[in-house]
Amino acid sequence: MIEQLKTDFERFFNSKKTIENLDLRKENLEYFLKQGFPNKKNEDWKYSDLNSIISLNFEKLNFFYDDEVQKKPDIKYIDDIDCNKLILINGKIAEINFDQVDKQNIIILNDNKSDFSLENKNPLIYLNNALTQNVVKILIESNYQVKKPIVIYHLLSENLKSTLLNQKVEIVLGENSQSRIVNIFQENNNKNFINSTSKILLARSAILKNYKLDISYNNNIKYLFDKIELDENSNFEHFIFSQGSKFIKNEIECDLKGKHSSAFINGILNLDKSNHHEIKTRINHISESTKSYQLIKNVLKDESKGVFQGKIFVNKKAQKTDGYQLSKVLLVDKNTEFDAKPELEIYADDVKCSHGSTSGNIDENSIFYLMSRGLSRVQAKQLIIEGFLLEVVEQITDSEIKKFVEKQII
Amino acid sequence: MLKIKDLVAKVEGKEILKGLNLNINPGEIHAIMGPNGSGKSTLSNIITGKKGYEISGDIIFENKSLLDLEIEERAQKGIFLAFQYPLEITGVNTNNFFKTSLNVIKKARGEKELDAIEFLKLLKSRASELKFDNKFLSRQLNVGFSGGEKKKNEILQMSLLNPKLSILDETDSGLDIDALKIVAEVVNSLKSKDKSFLIITHYQRLLNYIKPDFVHVLMNGKIIKSGGREIALELEQKGYENLNK
Repeated sequence: MIEQLKTDFERFFNSKKTIENLDLRKENLEYFLKQGFPNKKNEDWKYSDLNSIISLNFEKLNFFYDDEVQKKPDIKYIDDIDCNKLILINGKIAEINFDQVDKQNIIILNDNKSDFSLENKNPLIYLNNALTQNVVKILIESNYQVKKPIVIYHLLSENLKSTLLNQKVEIVLGENSQSRIVNIFQENNNKNFINSTSKILLARSAILKNYKLDISYNNNIKYLFDKIELDENSNFEHFIFSQGSKFIKNEIECDLKGKHSSAFINGILNLDKSNHHEIKTRINHISESTKSYQLIKNVLKDESKGVFQGKIFVNKKAQKTDGYQLSKVLLVDKNTEFDAKPELEIYADDVKCSHGSTSGNIDENSIFYLMSRGLSRVQAKQLIIEGFLLEVVEQITDSEIKKFVEKQII
Repeated sequence: MLKIKDLVAKVEGKEILKGLNLNINPGEIHAIMGPNGSGKSTLSNIITGKKGYEISGDIIFENKSLLDLEIEERAQKGIFLAFQYPLEITGVNTNNFFKTSLNVIKKARGEKELDAIEFLKLLKSRASELKFDNKFLSRQLNVGFSGGEKKKNEILQMSLLNPKLSILDETDSGLDIDALKIVAEVVNSLKSKDKSFLIITHYQRLLNYIKPDFVHVLMNGKIIKSGGREIALELEQKGYENLNK
């Protein structure tokens, strides 16, 4: 696999006339080669041994692909929300269909200039830095409130198979701007590995509501890394619904850099079969009077595995921090596994921080109660599970999108 | 309507019911009184179909044994239990749940299901009979309800589902005197020649408002005395221990 990677890097290098930051890319590739895919010896990957997941799922992995896509794959469009549409195929913008006024205030482009500034240096980010062919950039003008939600369809071309796809997204919200973004993952079913990083910057008083929905079933492996930086008074709302893929690690690193900035990270892992998903968060309270809230709920069926690793870090300057984190899991079937690692690391003395984690089975008395009203066992269980998850959906502050998400998952 | 024959129930080898016999005809109201731990709730759980008991004897409902039926099949046949401790079900909307429940039962009975408008009309009228605040109907099922509201909520479901046999398991506990009267009125209004009630209680207070045709005393897993309302009054004076002295 490593030989393949070296050859594919050469192919990539020869495929285009100019490749930006070639030296940096080579350097990043070297870093990756030194470490290889992370395995369970790496504390951050303790519960999700990517190295063995890859060897179990891929006999061969390609690292290069042509990002000039000719044919658009089939898309299941959302038709119940009036929205701006952005279609990405293999990590590159293929179609933009935006409201006229919104379009004038948002810059959207494919760029070959990569950003190498991500501080989290794990092997996958090195690999992403080395091989990403295209960066999708979305820049929202200051003082502009985007009217319609931006729905981003993440797709793969049909011929992409057993390939490791690297993509980068950069989203910048200017001062006092507002936007809603819904990410819909509809990748093909060809055993690909998607290694995606996004960098999201919120300038002063900006508001971003960002939703990620992995609903449709597929056999892909994904690593989705989000780095969010918040300036003074800005507000970030994040919601993850993680269900369809064979494996996903959602990693979120959020820097509350400006005073009074706040982040709300809510997520659902709704897993069955032998799917294995993880949510890992790190909230850095850097300035004072910052707020973070995390609610993660998990429903595990069959032989699925869920992982939540969440850390609230409070810098010594970040007095008056308000940090909250809670993870709950319903283990529906007995062969399921859930690993949780909640952590607080606090260097300031005037803070309010709490975390908690609960796990359990579906309460038999509750099932009895609902069945005594005529519902079958299956219906009763389903109702209890939906009710359990609904509490997270309730956290979505945009009513239109809340309704949509509710419909998607229930 | 309901015939219980030599019912013995064990939990983990321990006998809770020790040969219980009871016969309830259509249109009758029966009360079972008994001290804590006498097996009252076990009896109502077993009639409703709760798992986890080792059972011998039989329970016949409308000439068929209930023991082979699932919990929901019993509900669909017209058996209803108003729980002593109604469960809080997070995230389940009360209103929607009632509609699902009613329509599942109607469907099983071969009746026409109600659409949203018909259902709301029915629900509102039944809730107002119980002086049950409509605001609870849009909340999560029993979540944050007071003890009294939970009990009223049970009676509301009973009144919606229109069962043939209603079992009220200590419905009076947690109800204040006004609420108790309202609940009793609803029960009395549902009373008809083809509907029966089994009222389980510690105290005879409820029986001042819902007049039973028969009163049974359950002690140590057996009915030790049966008769009319006078037994309830006797119990009130003497207590369970001195009943037969």
